[in-house]
Amino acid sequence: MVATSATTALASAKLIDPQALMTIRSLELRARAVVEGFWSGMHRSPYHGFSVEFTEYRQYTPGDDPRYLDWRVFARSDRYFIKKYEDETNLRVHLLVDQSRSMDYGSRGYTKLAYAATLASTLAYFLHLQGDAVGLLTFDEKVREYLPARHRAGHLRQLMLSLERPASGQATDLVAPLERITALIRKRGLVALISDFLAPLDRLEKNLIAITAGGHEVVVFHLADPAELNLGLGAATMLQDVESARTLYIDPAVARPGYTQKFEAHAAALQAICRKLGVSYHRLVTSDPLELALFGFLQERMRRGRQFRRAGSAGEGGRA
Amino acid sequence: MNFLTPLFLLGGLAIAGPILYHLVRRTTRERLPFSSLMFLVPSPPKLSSRKRVEHWLLLLLRCAALALLALGFARPFLRQTPIVDPTSAQPKRIALLIDTSASMRRDGLWAAARSRVEDVLRRAGPSDQVALYPFDRQATALVSFEDWNRAAPGERVSLALGRLGAVNPGWSGTHLGAALVTAAEALGENEDGRAAPGPRQIVLVSDLQAGSRLEALQAYEWPKGIELLLEPVAARPPGNAGVQLVADGPDSTRAVDAPVRVRVSNSADATREKFQLGWTAESAAAGPGWIGAPIDAYVPPGQSRVFALPVPKSGPVPDRIRLEGDEVAFDNVAYVIPPVQQRARVLWIGADVAEDARQPLFFLRRAFAETPRVSVQVLANAPDAPLSPEDLAASPLAFVTDAIPAAKAAALRAALEAGRTVVFAPRSAAAAPTLGQLAGREGVALAEVKPSNYAMLAEIDFQHPLFAPFADPRFSDFTKIHFWQYRRLDPAALPGSRVIARFDSGAPALLELAVGQGRLYVLASGWHPDDSQLGVSSKFVPLVWSLLEQSGGVASFATQYAVGDRIVLPAGLNPASVALPGGATSPLASGAGDFAGADQPGVYSLSGGLRPQRFAVNLDANESRTAPLSSDDLEQMGVPIARPGTEVAATAESKTLLQGVEAEGRQKLWRWFIVATLAVLLFETALAGWTARRAALRTEEVAT
Repeated sequence: MVATSATTALASAKLIDPQALMTIRSLELRARAVVEGFWSGMHRSPYHGFSVEFTEYRQYTPGDDPRYLDWRVFARSDRYFIKKYEDETNLRVHLLVDQSRSMDYGSRGYTKLAYAATLASTLAYFLHLQGDAVGLLTFDEKVREYLPARHRAGHLRQLMLSLERPASGQATDLVAPLERITALIRKRGLVALISDFLAPLDRLEKNLIAITAGGHEVVVFHLADPAELNLGLGAATMLQDVESARTLYIDPAVARPGYTQKFEAHAAALQAICRKLGVSYHRLVTSDPLELALFGFLQERMRRGRQFRRAGSAGEGGRA
Repeated sequence: MNFLTPLFLLGGLAIAGPILYHLVRRTTRERLPFSSLMFLVPSPPKLSSRKRVEHWLLLLLRCAALALLALGFARPFLRQTPIVDPTSAQPKRIALLIDTSASMRRDGLWAAARSRVEDVLRRAGPSDQVALYPFDRQATALVSFEDWNRAAPGERVSLALGRLGAVNPGWSGTHLGAALVTAAEALGENEDGRAAPGPRQIVLVSDLQAGSRLEALQAYEWPKGIELLLEPVAARPPGNAGVQLVADGPDSTRAVDAPVRVRVSNSADATREKFQLGWTAESAAAGPGWIGAPIDAYVPPGQSRVFALPVPKSGPVPDRIRLEGDEVAFDNVAYVIPPVQQRARVLWIGADVAEDARQPLFFLRRAFAETPRVSVQVLANAPDAPLSPEDLAASPLAFVTDAIPAAKAAALRAALEAGRTVVFAPRSAAAAPTLGQLAGREGVALAEVKPSNYAMLAEIDFQHPLFAPFADPRFSDFTKIHFWQYRRLDPAALPGSRVIARFDSGAPALLELAVGQGRLYVLASGWHPDDSQLGVSSKFVPLVWSLLEQSGGVASFATQYAVGDRIVLPAGLNPASVALPGGATSPLASGAGDFAGADQPGVYSLSGGLRPQRFAVNLDANESRTAPLSSDDLEQMGVPIARPGTEVAATAESKTLLQGVEAEGRQKLWRWFIVATLAVLLFETALAGWTARRAALRTEEVAT
């Protein structure tokens, strides 16, 4: 019910064209524009918040820490309830942003990297507003920068600065950052992987298993340029790989069927891995408005949150 | 089409540049970045040829510009058959030197030389300029460039040959260096004094004997652009032996009958080495006709030996030495004038006794001591004693120290006027009237002066012939001679007189007065010890000998000369004519100092003077060295030698080259090639700009 109302609200709200959004220089302003527009759309809904914000009371059972008792409820109802709210909403989100050269490609006046940075900062800003701790890990063929998940005043700005760094590196390696993040994150949290996934997928599955096995929730944002979807080139040209500088003579009319087939196969393989591991997969074309991505993400979260709650209420004993 | 500098055509290879550039540029320009090629396979390039066609025109234009530039630099020209214009070739200036030295008298040489000259003259083109210079000791223009230019082109050769027909080899030495310098200088300047254009050449027709003198080239910087072409003529019987007198030094005191030394030199290419040497009579043509016994001379080829030839004891002294046994005759006779002891008389008119060592005569007799060359007889005559006219006539020099009777003074004056010299050295002032009579003036007074200390000679005119031997600073110090007393004479009393020396008081010490043809010298002091120290000084003997020479009593006259030498005639002899060896006579201008007509060897004699005088003129000793001169010797002197063979070979090649240069210079096709290059480049620029704009427009359309 909530989802339907949110979709309606989103449809009635005026979405921001990404091309217009990318003309804003400051990444923070960009994120704020998206999130605040989103908020204004949300306010029409009677729904306030989502899973991490949702207050949950649980009946006290012996063995629970009496510190967490809600004394006001006890005063009203003379029953013992445990306030689980705060403990659960302190979500730790780690944004894994691919900054390899292949991300530095864009056919619409802005690159996938800019789009990814805006997406990451939007998420970070949104989560920061909610009081969640947000961390960042950027990578290309190796890990470039790591900011631990924190919820501090200046942390968001530092995060945006890291996101504004230009693309570098010669290749995309999805394995190293995932291994690294597995090693780094002790507490369970959310891991959002933003990449174009233009790399072999053979070891990705193994690493994703490692993360999900650690109890982390993983969201995959698969970015793609519109030109990449259908090989949107005009005439026959020499194409140069931005990462390896390899050149090939390509006639789009000839190469397009094979290309789209391979591309879709690659995306399907990625999607299959995600489905298998229970990882939520979002394909984002850079021509799409960012709000849609944010909305899709939230919707997925809510759905999962419900599942989670249900699972949580079914077997409460495992949770601290 | 021909090219002057075809190597520049290699520059046309530069068209590879634009072709490569086009290819390279094509691949780089159309490269498009893409995020990943992992899903792509290369497409076959089937449309590439169509794309290239668009730039064919640009490529062609660029190649054409480069090719045209290379063609322009290669200096193209169209070979045209040149119009045969003999005057179009650059006129050559040729100085033709022909050797007329004595060595050219050898058999056949002169005829060969003349035919060579004729060849050279006929080879000369109508616009060439030729000058003909015969040379021996010096080169004189027989046909100058002006003469050549003035003559009609058809008559030039005959003019030159006609003038050469009158020329025969002389007897002089070969001063080749001086002749080359003369010819080079004549070639160096045009008629109007400017440097002449065109090639310049000296053609030397000579026997090129080793005895040619090249010293003049040592100090001469050979002008650039003048080369020497040798046209040597070779004598048919090679080899030559010659005889030369070994010259005595001017101060040698050889005895009159001492053997005469001669040098016999044999050239390196000679075939004979045994000769005979002896005195001969004048008629040499009739055979040896030896006077006295000849001596055998053995001289190996390439060597020279000196032989002492004794003078025949009996009969008149012969004047020539002949070398027998050599086929080449021109240098086989040496002329010798045996030294003769000259006899001179000096008249002494004075009152003193001859053997009194305090009197002037004593010193004079010892000053005129006899030498192998000269024997002087001093005739003493007392003032009162009669003077025989024979004695007076035989004495060119007379000394007078005392007053003499008027008749005697008049006789002396007559002798003075006839050309004799009188030295008047008064022993006292009382002799003044005699001086007046000798000088032909009345009222000449002498005054005795006795300086408190002594007087010295202060002002001496070293320009005067009398003192000229003392002019050297080593001998010019007369201050050591002290004069105790002297007689003062006012020079104004003797108009026309010249003071040669003065005392330190300013009074004249020696005074010269011309009387008729003769000279009167007045010496104001005596040389005997009562008057001065002059008689015992080292200056006295040279001074009296100088007086004797000035009077013509003896002559220091060399008797051996080389052909062409300027013969300095003895002073005071005043010969009227010179008898030449052939019997002819050459008159001499009165007062002539020298004689320049000694152009053949032989014995010359001066006649008409005070006494006859003979001198011998011989060949230049170097003329006997007839071995060929190496052309390296000339090249060492900086003279570039042209090789006749290479010249002919080079001319054919250089002629075509010259024609090419000329045609190219006339046509100047390279200018059109450069203009075409510029036009093509302009068109290319416009086309390239248009293409680029169109491409830009197209991409914009695609983008929007």
